[in-house]
Amino acid sequence: MSTEGLRIDHRGVRQAIEYYFDNDLTDGLPVVPATDTAVAEFLEQVDRDPDEIVATIPHLDRHCNVRLAAVNAVMAGCRAEYFPVVLAALDAMHRDTKARGSTRFASGLWQSTTGSSPLMIINGPARTALGFNAKGNVFGPGFRANATVGRAIRLIALNAFGLQPHVLDQATQAHPGKYTCCIAENEEESPWGPLSEDAGYPAGSSTLAFMMARSTLHIEARSATRPEHLLSDLANSIARTGGLYSETAACCVVLGPEHAALCHAGGFTKADVKAFLAEHAVCTRAALEQAGKTGLSRDMHWLVPADHPDAVPGEEPSFDSDGLHHVLPSPDEVVVVVAGASNAGVSTVIDLMGSTSARAAQGGGRVPAMAEIRLGAVPG
Amino acid sequence: MAPELEAILDPRGAAPDEGAARLAPRKDSLEGRRVGLLNNAKPNAAVILERLATLLQERYGVADVMMLSKPSFAVPADDVMMDKLAEQCDAVIAGVGDCGSCSAATTADGVLLEQRGVPAAAIVTDIFRASSAAMAQLKGFPGYKFVAVPHPIASLEGDEIDHLAEAALPEVLAILGVPA
Repeated sequence: MSTEGLRIDHRGVRQAIEYYFDNDLTDGLPVVPATDTAVAEFLEQVDRDPDEIVATIPHLDRHCNVRLAAVNAVMAGCRAEYFPVVLAALDAMHRDTKARGSTRFASGLWQSTTGSSPLMIINGPARTALGFNAKGNVFGPGFRANATVGRAIRLIALNAFGLQPHVLDQATQAHPGKYTCCIAENEEESPWGPLSEDAGYPAGSSTLAFMMARSTLHIEARSATRPEHLLSDLANSIARTGGLYSETAACCVVLGPEHAALCHAGGFTKADVKAFLAEHAVCTRAALEQAGKTGLSRDMHWLVPADHPDAVPGEEPSFDSDGLHHVLPSPDEVVVVVAGASNAGVSTVIDLMGSTSARAAQGGGRVPAMAEIRLGAVPG
Repeated sequence: MAPELEAILDPRGAAPDEGAARLAPRKDSLEGRRVGLLNNAKPNAAVILERLATLLQERYGVADVMMLSKPSFAVPADDVMMDKLAEQCDAVIAGVGDCGSCSAATTADGVLLEQRGVPAAAIVTDIFRASSAAMAQLKGFPGYKFVAVPHPIASLEGDEIDHLAEAALPEVLAILGVPA
């Protein structure tokens, strides 16, 4: 391989990289030095006032404007053309924060011991125009657009919002997606319409959906021949007791194309998939008892042992007439997308932080929080 | 030709605050006074606050206790709740911050109550000192003193809660400026 005679001032490059490490301005990996020239190239890609505040963590009095987002996007290794996607992620994040309002976690979940990761899903022509990976290794490395857009959001959290680990970010273990977690939907191999159209955006729109993920759970169902088998497997994984801190859960199911095709061939629409999962994601009383989760705490209604000092006497999770506890209160608690390679019966269940439909009910608009990506706008 | 040199840009959102916040004036006794409990509603928080309130009533002549429960443990209480506590209470105990977001939020509650003129003891667990201290600085009060009790809280049972409240009481009193 030829380096085409590229020669660099290695002292200058290393000095700049070390400056960011020395001042705790990175995620632990080297960053690209951000200067006025680079930031100006990014700002040219969007028709937005550089001083416009695009995202905020209200109780920390921390705000991120368009310029600061560009500085961090440069550092993350983005190409200038990706910057509209970074702004869409911040727009969607801002909607997510607003929609959570004064719910239990609100924007404090960025500091939480749970260690949630932003999960971003790209739809529409922006995927192909910018080279977002929607196929094999969709959560994995090797794709600059996925890797750097997700990383830009983490650098904004660390730098613009000051959410440093061991200080304001107190994650007990954290989700590895906190480095980066940005995927594209495999629309070409999906039997259904894209997430953007589910949310009411016109066909051909480029969008970004923003969620907060607690975990990504790998689902093996390579020999499934009927949708009901596969969907029961998924439902059992969604309803596992270890995923429950409260009575209910919300999730994003990322179906591999094979699994999506199996569902479609069996006559299941996306809505049918959600309805099946809501109906079958259940825990037995015995399973909750074994896990010490049959009591409800005062005020918060978290699952605690029945004899816990904070358990409300006589209160327990709801059970249906068959003694089953349903963890998904409605099909709206499930987001379904298709991504990955069409090479195995593999899917992923992602536990989401907070209830998606509750957010919609509070005026949060679409489920989940989404924003349009406006590529290559020229400043007016 | 020498390369054109450019400055590296600061990616941070804001400079640290100036530290303008101050403690509210202290009362020398809780005799006959009303104590507010700002419950963050985490498991066992209300149990611990109520235990502390009972001790204050039994030993320090506290006349009356008012508990308010926050809708979100992860962020500071809203203005309505803060105003109510500041107007109707002579001192407030806030807690218990036993997690990442709620340790910082409880500390912020303490600082914000002090700014409204009411002495406040914010209780967090010791493992979250760094998060609490960082939030105090963000709210303009570097070095703000809070009560750090042993972690964990959510898994404590009856006797353990009594012991924790007993052990925390001297520090609660010290922060409220009341002789033990």
